[in-house]
Amino acid sequence: MRYHLNEPLYSQYYYFMRDLFTGNFGIDPLTGQSILSEILFYLPNTLELVLCSFIIIIVVGVAIGYVAGMHFSTFRDSVARVAYLVSWSTPMYLAAIVAILLFANYIPLFPSGGMYSLSIVPPPAVTGVFLIDALIAFDMTAFLSGLHHLILPAMVLALVNFGLISRAVRSSILNVRWSTYVKTARAKGLSEREVRRKHILRNALVDATSLSAVIFGWVLTSTVVVEELFAWPGLGQFAYQAIFSNDYPVLIPVVVVFTLGVIVANFVADVAYSILDPRIGMGAHGAVT
Amino acid sequence: MAQSLRFGQLVLSNRLSTLGLAIVIVSLAVALGFGLFGARVTPHDPFALNLQDANLPPSLSHLFGTDFQGRDLFSRVIAALPIDLGLPIAIVLLSSMLGIFLGMTAGYVGGVVDEIIMRITDLFLAFPTIIMVLAVAATLGPGLVNAMLAFVFVWWPPYVRLVRGGVLEVAAEDFISISKALNSSFSHIILRGILPNIMPSVLTYATLDVGTALLEVSILGFLGIGIPPNTPELGVMVGSISYGLYTYPWQALFPAFVTMILVVGFSFLGEGAREASDVKVRPYILFKGRAFKKTPATTSPLVER
Repeated sequence: MRYHLNEPLYSQYYYFMRDLFTGNFGIDPLTGQSILSEILFYLPNTLELVLCSFIIIIVVGVAIGYVAGMHFSTFRDSVARVAYLVSWSTPMYLAAIVAILLFANYIPLFPSGGMYSLSIVPPPAVTGVFLIDALIAFDMTAFLSGLHHLILPAMVLALVNFGLISRAVRSSILNVRWSTYVKTARAKGLSEREVRRKHILRNALVDATSLSAVIFGWVLTSTVVVEELFAWPGLGQFAYQAIFSNDYPVLIPVVVVFTLGVIVANFVADVAYSILDPRIGMGAHGAVT
Repeated sequence: MAQSLRFGQLVLSNRLSTLGLAIVIVSLAVALGFGLFGARVTPHDPFALNLQDANLPPSLSHLFGTDFQGRDLFSRVIAALPIDLGLPIAIVLLSSMLGIFLGMTAGYVGGVVDEIIMRITDLFLAFPTIIMVLAVAATLGPGLVNAMLAFVFVWWPPYVRLVRGGVLEVAAEDFISISKALNSSFSHIILRGILPNIMPSVLTYATLDVGTALLEVSILGFLGIGIPPNTPELGVMVGSISYGLYTYPWQALFPAFVTMILVVGFSFLGEGAREASDVKVRPYILFKGRAFKKTPATTSPLVER
């Protein structure tokens, strides 16, 4: 009776949707635990990794795109373009393997996997995010160990994903830097720094914002590979194991959670978009677009 | 014809895209060579097991070394090219055909049909790509055709959006309304009026997209899902080494670097083509930016056009 397998497909679908909205994802047939509690255990770890690399991506990506756009067709532009094109052409596993070999094996600066050292007693779970929990418990050794383990996978995720944002920032800078309103800004006597910051960069950021939702989705799904290689106990690894062992009852809710992540990221980007660019309204007030 | 020649010149005026084109042509030629002549073009048989020579480091007779079953990795990389180029190209071809069909229908017919097609497209766009491909491929079971179908399943929505946008733009042009007034047939308007005008943007996007598809195909192989084990595929070759990574790093690094070079080829070429077809930036490629630096205000090439 638990899986309603004796009922027709549409009533199975009805039970599935009903349970989905009440958060009852059922029992994981492999571990016997509730799937929701498993997801809630893995999700914060993934969010920690994804948010960290997302911040690196935004900062590095915008900086590289800005340099490329402001120095169009110069040596710096070529270097930046090669950097972001190669970045997005790099297979994630190559970046991860090279990072592990270089910085964990030949020059042992960072641990090759895991989320914290085995000698560390994890702080009591308040938020579920290891770094924040360590801070709440004032456990500096745990915090530093967590940070130490976070750097390598976060850098790998950032390295292969910053390309798209650089390209978008570069092309939107190219679109505005010769436009009439930038000329107007110069003509009315604004300093070059102000023109660049308020008129050129701000416009580029508007385009970057709408893209950042896409990037967030990519980073989120990239965790399938990166978490597997770095033994990071997150949702990506959980999804991979579910796929590999044909564990469909787990796989379906995990895909739902990933999709929800993408949708939420899009929603946040849309809101940020309308704040950054006053010409874009949120619908009700019918601003002119 | 003259126009496409000029476009080619623009693309090739960029050193990066020339490099990309070279990589693409060479790899396609090698893949075709292996497809036609099989193991006769490789230094060793890519499939023959030779356990005495297992895990050899790179040397002159084995350029990339050998894998854990003694197969020459360089030969296996060559044997992987038809799959690693063929699968992404097939995926992009099928997705773009589906996208062109649905996008043109949505854009040209409009109304309720447009609404239905675009809402379904939005639905599919929300799915995270890799996860969805992995899930579908795992459900369909291992096999190259199944892997391709799994990809096409999630790969088509961007094409629909691209084509629909293009169709809406072109259909509003005067020459289409004139063509309608002259009582041209439906197929004439679609095939001679609209299609040639949206193909450039589709082709540009598709070139970049082949690289992305190649990346994700190799990720599928790397994770060991969808693509059968022991297939000569670059990702599978990287993935089968995970236990000996510290001892035999070359077994993973060479196929992974070849994957990167292939994708770099498509990215450079596609990026050059995209830039050359961007009307706003094109004048500055022609002048390599110099025109702007000398006299910023009045003689901008944009104004001259």
